[in-house]
This record gives sequence, C-alpha cells and structure tokens, in this order.
Amino acid sequence: MIALGARLRRAATRWKLRRCAEVGEGVRVLGRVWIHGGGTIRVGDRVLLDGSVSPIELHAGAGAEIVLGADVRVDGGASLEAARSIAIGERAHLGCFCKILDNHFHRVSSRDQRPVSEPVIVEEDVDLGARAILLPGARVGRATVVGPGTVLARRVPAEALVAGLPATVKRR
Amino acid sequence: MSPSILEELMTGARRLWSHIPADRAFLLRDADLLVGIARARVVLRGATLGARVYVGGPLKVVADGEITVGELTCFFGGMIASELICHPGARVAIGRSSELNYGVSVEARQAITIGASCKLGSMVRIADWSPVASGPVVIEDEVWLAHGVVIEPGVTIGRGSVVSAGSVVTSSIPPDSLAIGNPARALRLDLLAKTTSR
Repeated sequence: MIALGARLRRAATRWKLRRCAEVGEGVRVLGRVWIHGGGTIRVGDRVLLDGSVSPIELHAGAGAEIVLGADVRVDGGASLEAARSIAIGERAHLGCFCKILDNHFHRVSSRDQRPVSEPVIVEEDVDLGARAILLPGARVGRATVVGPGTVLARRVPAEALVAGLPATVKRR
Repeated sequence: MSPSILEELMTGARRLWSHIPADRAFLLRDADLLVGIARARVVLRGATLGARVYVGGPLKVVADGEITVGELTCFFGGMIASELICHPGARVAIGRSSELNYGVSVEARQAITIGASCKLGSMVRIADWSPVASGPVVIEDEVWLAHGVVIEPGVTIGRGSVVSAGSVVTSSIPPDSLAIGNPARALRLDLLAKTTSR
C-alpha cells in the first residue's frame, strides 16, 4: 500500500514537472507549479517545490534557462521568470511570493521594447526572504540572508545580511 | 494510474498537438483572444466596457459601484487571480490600451482612475482607503507600475512615470519621473536617461 502511494506521488510529480528538461532524484512537488515558456528548466536532486499556499511559477522564455540546484526549497507564490538565465545554488531557500527576474521586459524610454537580459545568480545556502525581489544583474553571494521584501539589482557579498528598499548590507 | 499510462497519455497529447502545423499556430492564439474577449463580457458584466477588452485568466470583480474599462485593455492571467473591487457609490475608471498583469488588486471606496496605455505589473495593489488614510487615487496616462508596487490612498502618479518594483508610494509622484523605495522618492527620468542605458 505504501509502495503504491509512493509510486502515485512520483507519477504526480513527474506529471507536474513534465515540461522540465531535467528532473533529479527525490524531487517533491506540493500543490501546483505553473511551468511555461519554451526554455530549459533543470531541477536538481531532492528539490522541494512547495506550492501548497499558492502556485509557483517557473517561466523560461525561448532559449532561456532556469537551474535549481540540489536541495533547493521553493515556497508558495515564488515566481522565476528568465529571458536568458537564472541559477539557484544548492540548498538555497526561496521564500513565499518572492520574484526573480532577469529582464525588465519593458524599456523605461520606449515601453514596448525589451531590454537586454542580465543573468541572475543565487549562490549556495542563500536564504531569500518572503516577497523579496531580485532584478536583472542581481548576484547573491554564498550563505547570504536576504531580508523579507528586499529589492536587489546588484552584487552582494557572501555571508552577509541584506535588507531594505533600496537594499543595503546590514551585517557581514 | 501507473507512470506508463501517464506517459502514453502524454505522447498521445503530443501527437494531437503535432497535428496543428506551425504556420497555423496563430489559430490557437486567435482562439485564446476570442475566449478572453468573451470572458471579459461575462466577468465584467456589471461594468461599462469598451471594444475588445481582454481577460486572460481568473479575475474577481465586485461591481457595486461604477466601473468603466476602455477599449483594448488587457487583464492577463497567471498563477494568482486579479481583483477589481468597486464598493457602492465608488468609481473605477481604466483607460484604453492599458495592460494589467496577474495578481493586481484594485479596491475603490471613492474613486480610482487609471489612465490610457498604463502598464501594471504583477501583484500591484491600489486602494483609495486604508484604516489610516483615504482619498482618490489617480494614475495618469502611460504610467508603468512594476511588480509588487503598493499605491497608498490619495496619491497621484504623473503622466509617463515609472514606479520600480516593490516600492510603496505614499505621496504624489510628478510626471516623467522614476519612483523608488519605501516610502517612494522620485527622480527625474530625463536626468536618469543620461546615466543609464535602460
């Protein structure tokens, strides 16, 4: 009976992640994940996508790539939109309703043009707070904690605490 | 259902999909457009609608007051439902050719005006009433509110301004400026254009 439940769960996970190019071992998906766009999405081993609060969005546009490293945890309502590349390092945690964008999608001067993408990199062991926003060009160093609601569009060092709007390094 | 049956179903679905040639893909797009326009007529039935208003996903509408939506305005669908709430005696006006992304929440007890050709990013919240303040909100033409912006009561956003992601706007923003922060401060867009390529 237990074996059947586990098999059903695996089948459901496989179905929910059917649009991903690569799915690692022991990946778990709770609730709904909305995967769209024509790009490549790689999900590492033991990743947990917890969409039980609100659906998770993974959007890789044509030719774009989203990589979730091993043991990454993603909470409900998180949204990753890649026009070129978003990489999340191993054991990172993405909080509720956080947003990661590698493209602004509209130019400030002529709104119907799309600007150039700048890859977003989240290194290992990073903790991204709820409702945090990573904008194009953001690069979060290893084991840094990004406070809730922080808006970040630049490089921040490893093992720091970053918070605020605009974001500042509070502690190193 | 065993995984093998699932896989069979998936290959079946893929085969069906492959019957639609690439040069006819526009048929699907047009079908989506027609469904969206029809959905707008249903969900916004208490409102005054212009031609070809499009609703691409879940949208919660409470039209106890007076809602007007200009022609060609789009409400995009996504992972979170948008809401458009107009309490009795209140007024919500959205201009023509505006685009509202998913998860947008507009709640009026007095008056909220959104101009023409505006872009509202996902999870934007606009309300003209809160426990500590109230006053009509005006978003002028060609304003771009990025993801997660909160507009407080009594605020006017000037024509052509941009409010950056996650900002909380507590006071009015002049035209052609870029507002950043919590509380949001305004910078002039034309000065900014000289220093950045965006």
